[in-house]
Amino acid sequence: MSDFFLTAEAEPDEAVKLALRRIDEAQAAGQGSDVEGLRLNEVVVNMGPQHPSTHGVLRLVVTLDGELIKDVIPVVGYLHRCKEKLAEKRTYFQYIPILDRTEYVAGMNCEWAYVMTVEKLTGIRPTRRAEFIRVIVGELSRIASHLVAVGTFTADLAPLGTAMAFYTFRDRELILDLLEEVSGGRMMYNYLRFGGVRYDLPSGWVEQCRDVMKRMPKLIDEYASLVDDNAIFLQRTVGKGVISQQDVVDYGITGPNARASGVELDLRRTRPYSVYPELDFEVCTAQHGDVFDRYRVRMDEMRQSVRIIEQCLDMLPRGPVQSGSLRAPYVVTPPPGSCYVGQENPRGEYGTYIVSDGSRYPYRLKYRDPCFCNLQLFPKLLRGNKIADAVSISGSMDLVLGGIDR
Amino acid sequence: MGLSDMVPDRFKVAYPKLQSFRQPNIVTTTADFVFSWARSNSVFPFTYGLACCAIEMMSAGFARWDVARFGMEVFRPTPRQCDLMIVSGTVNEKMAPVLKRLYDQMAEPKWVISMGACATSGGPFYDGYNVVNGVDKVVPVDVYIPGCPPRPEALFQGLLELQGKIAAYSFTPVLPGARPVKEG
Amino acid sequence: MGLEVGTLKVTMDEIAADLARDFAGDLEDVRIQEPDTIVARLAREKLKDVARRLKAHEDLAYETLNFVAAVDLGAQLESVYHVYSWRTNTWIELHVPVPRAKAEVDTVTDVWPAADWHEREAWDMMGIRYLGHPDLRRILLKDDFVGHPLRKDYVDLAENHPHV
Ligand code: SF4
Repeated sequence: MSDFFLTAEAEPDEAVKLALRRIDEAQAAGQGSDVEGLRLNEVVVNMGPQHPSTHGVLRLVVTLDGELIKDVIPVVGYLHRCKEKLAEKRTYFQYIPILDRTEYVAGMNCEWAYVMTVEKLTGIRPTRRAEFIRVIVGELSRIASHLVAVGTFTADLAPLGTAMAFYTFRDRELILDLLEEVSGGRMMYNYLRFGGVRYDLPSGWVEQCRDVMKRMPKLIDEYASLVDDNAIFLQRTVGKGVISQQDVVDYGITGPNARASGVELDLRRTRPYSVYPELDFEVCTAQHGDVFDRYRVRMDEMRQSVRIIEQCLDMLPRGPVQSGSLRAPYVVTPPPGSCYVGQENPRGEYGTYIVSDGSRYPYRLKYRDPCFCNLQLFPKLLRGNKIADAVSISGSMDLVLGGIDR
Repeated sequence: MGLSDMVPDRFKVAYPKLQSFRQPNIVTTTADFVFSWARSNSVFPFTYGLACCAIEMMSAGFARWDVARFGMEVFRPTPRQCDLMIVSGTVNEKMAPVLKRLYDQMAEPKWVISMGACATSGGPFYDGYNVVNGVDKVVPVDVYIPGCPPRPEALFQGLLELQGKIAAYSFTPVLPGARPVKEG
Repeated sequence: MGLEVGTLKVTMDEIAADLARDFAGDLEDVRIQEPDTIVARLAREKLKDVARRLKAHEDLAYETLNFVAAVDLGAQLESVYHVYSWRTNTWIELHVPVPRAKAEVDTVTDVWPAADWHEREAWDMMGIRYLGHPDLRRILLKDDFVGHPLRKDYVDLAENHPHV
């Protein structure tokens, strides 16, 4: 009986207490209820950690006045998996698979950031063919990630239901097929190695990839035609949740979220790495920084990624995919020192800061995760909006909790 | 291949044959059979995406894989309308009380699938200071699915195993493989 | 007005020279980490003041905090600040040593608002107390967790594992 009915009320935790305290403080300062005799007209609502539209285990403690959001306290950590500590017990090589599991929607890019850091520490240089392959798989992964982002975001906005998500997930499979063929995994690739990549491209892969890339722009237009002039969609997105350029500077917002505010910050251009300087693509920006612009920047970026991949397929040089001996260096011992390398993930600047003490294990590894930084802006972004918009704004930020919580 | 072929042998129960009489619209069978058949084909899973495995669970629900083929597509976001919890991802010490609470809120009869290495045993993070090594430390688990992440096909096999298990479910807790009905 | 990246074209040597001139006595061990990062050490008493001046510097203007990393160096802890300058498109990495016995350092949230969560994380993981932080709670771990797990001397405690 007692198993079934929840009678014992749990003590509110720190976040809820803080929200209540803030209400009391506001009340004491005379900004509380505007109705005479009513002590509170604010309620504290708990959203998450199990909530269908926070895309994972994000928890928001929201203080509401009617339908208006007065205050938001994000609570994270429900997916904290000790990845930084585990790095101390795994060799540099053994740690690569864990990177796939940080931002699990774009595993390839995360691996790439880590591998680049270690390469910089040790001085290993990848071969030229490997660089091109990395760009190709990285951009494929970016498209797949944006497809998830756009699909789930539109699924949160009621008028469409999951219609668009069905399309985007259908076509994401095409890309996952390609990635599976090169690496053997659908989501967890473990494909990049220090100084190269694990396998060369299988025969026939290039043509297959070209085929998919030829279809991709049409498919993207198809998604766009679903929502771009849908009145309800526009009403719920235009002008909502505006990120100003000052916010970008203050909070270190990166990625599509920053570019939607008109900031041309794209590490592929501003801190070029790999072979990006040789490639011709545009940095997609938009002007207003609202929910709709963030969605549009993602759509445009997919088109640019297609362009990048097509160029890389044309330019793909012959040669080995692994520098040095054919086997990847299983044991790397970087000299003592520390270094940080950032990389343009689908969500923004993703990087790892590694302190090495000259042994086979990283002494300290720290992630710089874009979602973690972007989420900080949340309280400011949501304040004054309607509670229903909280969902569309959080969807447009494209949070991945695996990265935030590490 | 029919559903009954999916039932593992150890769960197989000899049901009395369906009998129809002369008059139309009369069929007899056991109550066990009817309820189990209905239940196993109308499982309502709970959208409880925890980590990377949740993305594969989502893929399983969409085109190409399409979990609707097995009568399990009605994902519900509230535990009170669900009878299957798919724990898809790592459970940590902060999440464990929440998971327990959500499980308690689900109405009986209820089932739990542990999807992926993390939910089963801690997976790649087994030695972390904050990871619960297996969701079975918190709630009882019916089916374990190995993999990191399990492919959608693996998830389907897990679901079919579960359907087999439910089909063998009985009101009298004496049949082999059946879980005793919880008092409550 | 668009926020531009790298409007001021300077070489790393010039930046290092600028810093050495304007922050003489504050920044120690200024060195260049190729290709675009300056690494410097800094005493913890001076952190707040130097942070303000770095942000307000008319040429370099280190405006955006990228991340704060806490490192356990054995004898002492270290709080590492990674800051971005939009104008020069370069980074600076400030290493602030923090003694182990009294792990306290001034907060920089009022200079760089982005420091808020990063400092909370450093407190959570490494136990560095940021003085003056508006809301120094645990962020990733649960509220009643015991210890700071990323310290090298952390031992896994049974009370942190109620579910075994
Ligand atoms: S089993 Fe693997 S894919 Fe699934 S949640 Fe754990 S790490 Fe992620």
